[in-house]
Amino acid sequence: MTLIMGIFEEGLIYAIMALGVYITYKILDFPDLSVDSTFPMGAALTASAILSGVHPAAALFLSFGAGALAGCVTGFIHVKLKVRDLLSGIIVMTGLYSLNLRIAGGRANVPIFTQETIFENKFLAEHIPHSLSPYAMVLILLVITIMCKVLLDLYLSTKSGYLLRAVGDNEALVTSLAKDKGMVKIVGLAIANGFTAMAGSIYCQHKGFFEISVGTGTMVIGLASVIIGIQLLTPESGSSMFSHLHKKELRPTTAVIIGSIVYKACISAAISMGMEANDLKLITSILFLIILIVSTERRRSVKGHA
Amino acid sequence: MKKTVKILFLASVTAALLVGCAGPDAKAPAQAASQENREASGTDNYTIGIGQFAAHGSLDNCREGFLLGLAEEGIVEGENLTVLYENSQADGGIASQIASNFASQHVDLICGIATPMAQSAYGIGRKQNIPVIYTAVTDPVAAELAAPDGSPVGEITGTSDKLPVTQQLEMIRAILPQAKTIGIMFTTSEVNSLSTIEEYKAAAPDYGFEIVDVGISTTADVPLAADSLLEKVDCVTNLTDNTVVASLPIILDKAAKKQIPVFGSEIEQVKIGCLASMGLDYIELGKQTGKMAAAVLKGKKKASEMNFEVIEEASFYGNTKVAENLGITFPEKLTSSAKELFTEITE
Repeated sequence: MTLIMGIFEEGLIYAIMALGVYITYKILDFPDLSVDSTFPMGAALTASAILSGVHPAAALFLSFGAGALAGCVTGFIHVKLKVRDLLSGIIVMTGLYSLNLRIAGGRANVPIFTQETIFENKFLAEHIPHSLSPYAMVLILLVITIMCKVLLDLYLSTKSGYLLRAVGDNEALVTSLAKDKGMVKIVGLAIANGFTAMAGSIYCQHKGFFEISVGTGTMVIGLASVIIGIQLLTPESGSSMFSHLHKKELRPTTAVIIGSIVYKACISAAISMGMEANDLKLITSILFLIILIVSTERRRSVKGHA
Repeated sequence: MKKTVKILFLASVTAALLVGCAGPDAKAPAQAASQENREASGTDNYTIGIGQFAAHGSLDNCREGFLLGLAEEGIVEGENLTVLYENSQADGGIASQIASNFASQHVDLICGIATPMAQSAYGIGRKQNIPVIYTAVTDPVAAELAAPDGSPVGEITGTSDKLPVTQQLEMIRAILPQAKTIGIMFTTSEVNSLSTIEEYKAAAPDYGFEIVDVGISTTADVPLAADSLLEKVDCVTNLTDNTVVASLPIILDKAAKKQIPVFGSEIEQVKIGCLASMGLDYIELGKQTGKMAAAVLKGKKKASEMNFEVIEEASFYGNTKVAENLGITFPEKLTSSAKELFTEITE
């Protein structure tokens, strides 16, 4: 039971970040590496903010804002300064590493064990019945994650959200609508990195400390979650022929959240089976490849039947 | 239906992959079963999780010593002790996942080696009521694992590998009576290095030294930083800074060309070419930690009832080959009390 709760906790935290990666990778077709640094940025900011007396919940929004700002910088470098997408992400990722250490007061490790967090505070202690307390964390995370998902779904169905999706599919269309596709990209990156930094903030409050090394591989975890979720749980977005048959299919945002939990379950299984941490990245990449191959196979066979 | 097939497929692929890659030396997975056994039969069988943050000599020695310490108290791996060991390879995310995995396997105790692992273990342990014993945490107070008076903040205690700064300065003074400046290279992102440098700076004037420090951010900065540091100092001393220690051969090589002595912070560094060190014996540190863990496992004491411990006495380690190359002879009072003298440089 503890194992399952652990997987859900980890999975839900990273799911919020994966929603961000879903925007950049799947919607905008933008390989955004800056998330590797915006995740610890959220954590660093949260540790410092909480230590200086900011309310833990406010730290979430603060982190979202800071992450969004970092996303804007990536977008600005790419769109306005015309640097290639991958490179703009790398530039921001590298620069933020130093900035994160500054935010954390020059320390690579900031504990907040004794502080109140969104998971441990007077309000919860008084209002959550004792029988529920083992599940309190998962419940809180579930609420936050679902709120993020619903907000993102709502946003994607607004005009601005439609434009965002259009930029990924067909840039020319956006230009023909007399809209600035660059601005749309910047907005997308801002939201994505905002989510990522917020996930970092939750991570920090969940674990009780900030550590500079937590950002390593964030992008890969996000990608894994998106690929597992989207490729295996939803119909291919391009096959409009079938979309009417799949009205009941999962929304991609839901699929991404499930993907994140499945990914964490895989990692957890790997560790329980005695795998060494050294081999985990190799497993992840092989898993990626297989999922990608399987999902293209499936598309081909669908076409064959049609 | 289709979805179920897909999920099943994913699960089976993962399982197949994992089994395939686990290899011959895969450790047996932890059994909550062992705990059930104990509860059923009433005998004292323990399951503990040892999480180590990174793989390097000192930390490996801690782990070895920890198991020796437990064994001295009659808790022997393979007999009445099941050990789950994981190494996070310096990845903070993996460290916390390892800790929650230990918790989910209902281990009786988690041993966290090095600060981030200790914090991860405590992060989960305090929620699941699993006692945590740490070792190789330089500053448990700064890591919020202990209160400023040394008492634990919860069911967590252990040992600190704080460097014996004053003893090191005293040794350098004894070996180099003429030296005025000591150079220290450190990584700006390592918390322990920062606090140790402060301590060096505070203590150095008592021994007539001045500290010159140079900060680096990655391994790639080491050669240039070493060149600039060696211009300014009479000798160099090391901290337990992971990045710098990993690049130590570069510094040793440059220093040897300029005939500048480099002092180490522990035995492994002296083996590979540092002149000498007042070092901690990490195996001893581990043993001391193992005994604390044994007390907790046997229910003699709770972790929250024991203050964290440090090793008071550092021992002298010297490398006579390096001394010969530099034309230095160790003072008699140091060699007579030496824990170990090396006569060659291990590459």
